[in-house]
Amino acid sequence: MPDLGRLALAIALLLAFYSIGANVFGARRRRPEFIASARHALWAMCAMVTIAVVALWTGLLSSDFSLEYVASYSSTTLPTVYKFTALWGGQQGSLLLWTWLLSIFTSVAAYQHRRRNPEIAPYAMAVLAGVAIFFLGMLNFVTRPFDLLPVIPAQGTDLNPLLQNYWMAIHPPSLYTGYVSATVPFAFGAAALMTGKLDDSWIRSTRRWAIFSWFFLTLGNLFGARWAYEVLGWGGYWAWDPVENAAFMPWLVMTAYLHSVMIQERKDMLKVWNLALIGLAFSLTIFGTFITRSGVISSVHSFTQSGLGPYFLSFLVLIVAAYTGLLIFRARELRSPAEFESYLSREAAFLFNNLMLIGIAFAVFWGTIFPVLSEAVRGVKITVGPPFFNSVAGPLALGLIFLMGVGPLIAWRRTTASNLVKSFTAPAITGVATGVVALAAGLRTWYVLTAFSLAAFVLGTVVVEFRRGVGARRHMLAEPAPRALVNLVAKNNRRYGGYIIHIGVIVAFVGIVGSSFFKTEVKKSVREGQSFTVGAYQLRYLGLSESDTAHMESATARIEVSRNGRVVTEMAPAKLFYKREQQPATKVAIRSTPFADLYIVLAGLDENGNQATFEVFLTPLVFWLWAGGLLMAIGTVVVMWPNVRERAAIAAAVRRAAPVAITGEPAPGGD
Amino acid sequence: MRARMTGVLAIVSLAIVLSLAAARTLPSAAERPSEEQVAQGLTCQCGCGLTVANCNMPTCSFSVPTRHQIQDMIDHGKSQVEIIAFYRHKFGEKVLSAPTTQGFNLLAWITPFAALLAGGVLIVFTARRWHREPDSPPSQPAPAAPDENSFDPELRRKLAEDLRKGG
Repeated sequence: MPDLGRLALAIALLLAFYSIGANVFGARRRRPEFIASARHALWAMCAMVTIAVVALWTGLLSSDFSLEYVASYSSTTLPTVYKFTALWGGQQGSLLLWTWLLSIFTSVAAYQHRRRNPEIAPYAMAVLAGVAIFFLGMLNFVTRPFDLLPVIPAQGTDLNPLLQNYWMAIHPPSLYTGYVSATVPFAFGAAALMTGKLDDSWIRSTRRWAIFSWFFLTLGNLFGARWAYEVLGWGGYWAWDPVENAAFMPWLVMTAYLHSVMIQERKDMLKVWNLALIGLAFSLTIFGTFITRSGVISSVHSFTQSGLGPYFLSFLVLIVAAYTGLLIFRARELRSPAEFESYLSREAAFLFNNLMLIGIAFAVFWGTIFPVLSEAVRGVKITVGPPFFNSVAGPLALGLIFLMGVGPLIAWRRTTASNLVKSFTAPAITGVATGVVALAAGLRTWYVLTAFSLAAFVLGTVVVEFRRGVGARRHMLAEPAPRALVNLVAKNNRRYGGYIIHIGVIVAFVGIVGSSFFKTEVKKSVREGQSFTVGAYQLRYLGLSESDTAHMESATARIEVSRNGRVVTEMAPAKLFYKREQQPATKVAIRSTPFADLYIVLAGLDENGNQATFEVFLTPLVFWLWAGGLLMAIGTVVVMWPNVRERAAIAAAVRRAAPVAITGEPAPGGD
Repeated sequence: MRARMTGVLAIVSLAIVLSLAAARTLPSAAERPSEEQVAQGLTCQCGCGLTVANCNMPTCSFSVPTRHQIQDMIDHGKSQVEIIAFYRHKFGEKVLSAPTTQGFNLLAWITPFAALLAGGVLIVFTARRWHREPDSPPSQPAPAAPDENSFDPELRRKLAEDLRKGG
């Protein structure tokens, strides 16, 4: 199996090289048979990488410790599901997963564009193959997943205990899917620059890829946050760790991109900006990988640190330099007849929305690299942690939330004062009223008051939008309200799906604010039978139960939770000890309600187990962070739902862009 | 020209408000802090890269004793600023979880807002270059993208379109 894996990776690399050559030659000489051959090579490359992945999985599942990777990240006692997820538990495996996803997405894009966008698609495929060459080069020559050990150990080192969690089974693949799928719109942007086909056909034909990437970046970030919440045991979910930041930045830039392309589609403006944004989003995915694997910036994500930094940095510099060069080369052609009438227009709202999103992304980037700058300039090591990011990104987030409310309700071009009053009166009153109620309820923190008021304002604007749409349908079609609502969303899924995402963002934002500002923490040592109070809850320590398996030892405390004298539940936080790694860990117990999460950590035990120390967090509203995430996911599915009219628009754009197909075949639209 | 000045002034004011908002979140000397607040200001030195408040390794040789010490100091009436200064003196700047607001470190705090300000000014100047006097009433819809609508006339137009397609 290892030989098969190695061979498959070598062939995949050759196929990627061939695909670049055949695509470029076929496109330049107008030889469709070469383009078709290049496409088949990409599919074959995907098959080869799949074989390598299956080979490594076989090694992991059969505990083949002759493989260095399996011996380092698995053991015979590791539960089967984690043997499976160990594929991305280490350096080589996670790069293999990355390459596999890239080869799958490249194959799908190649299939979608076998007849579409014939002038830029071959170059886009060449760019995708170029990115694949970098990763396949790493897997073949630098960090090989199929290296063998000279002496086969009887047992493996095991997977890092922190990664033995179900969220870890889905967080890295989600994030990687988000990262890697951003390569497709980037490749089409680069191809548009190479060929000079600079209209919006590259945006339209990769719009779903951009949303797909955003969707998985969103999920990846949320799953990672949930993992941190359940596993790290400090009661929080986001620590502004460099690697978290590295996943957050592409999300911000992709969000900006998804908004600004609407201006180009609608008004043919911002061509340079959109091309720059997609270049930036892709570069940030590589930057994220560089940070995770270089060890340049210390991080809690040290699972995959290695000496790969220089390779990723070189690749990053190459991409940024080549792409910037292309942008400069095409600068003159990218000028478009832009029109701007008023700051009270949707264009303006989108421009400032982009400013805020990129502003936050820059602040996060700046804070992430500042320790390196400080060491280079002053020779002093410093840390840039949560207080900095909260102080800088917090106020910017408020600006962004405000614009989320303003943007959708104002018209393109310009809005009159009377329209403004008509649109915003109800949402503004809702926002102010929420602030007054919060003040009356005793809230005195300016940030929380502003945040809650703005959240209510934005929700108000979304309600106004839905009401308008439903009202129009009821008025003209006499549809009952529920049916009008369903039809409204179904017929305009892009727009109203977007609003559902906005609601999700607001709900998550309320969860973040609530959980950040009102967390209560209590640390208490108690004997069996003793009680203590946390907020409105009374906690009674009932006792300890211990278990011992081949994989780990665990001590689980039982805690009876009461409220107003009534028992509501029993919770069971535990201390674990992983035998192979000789490493302790905690298992948090969480009781989640829409009002607050009760979060219990078993922090310590005395010698004979009579006395236990608990760290308990009562975190209000954190439930809504995850609920908001779910709404964002639902909204994205609505946005991505196939829409017949949009297919027609794509087909029309493509026909305008490429009246003569070099393949000689008709050019159908839609992805 | 006046419109541009107004735009620039608005952007400058926004940047100042945001910076002041950021400054409000920095610790003050007067209030009695919680252990959590102080611990958020210090970086754990065990190598985890998290703050002392966030490192929850049960056996951590740095965060566990430091949190006890912090509580002691709070009980003895020390302020957040004083406690943080104590650890800075002992371990150097690397123990702080955010850069100081002096010297080179000031760049860390100023640059994001300066960049935002520059971006805002750029938008104002670019918009000025793009500016075109309105020549038609704003309620008249521009040629519609597939799923865009804003106001009732356009909604009605779209609805009519939906109906034609059997909506």
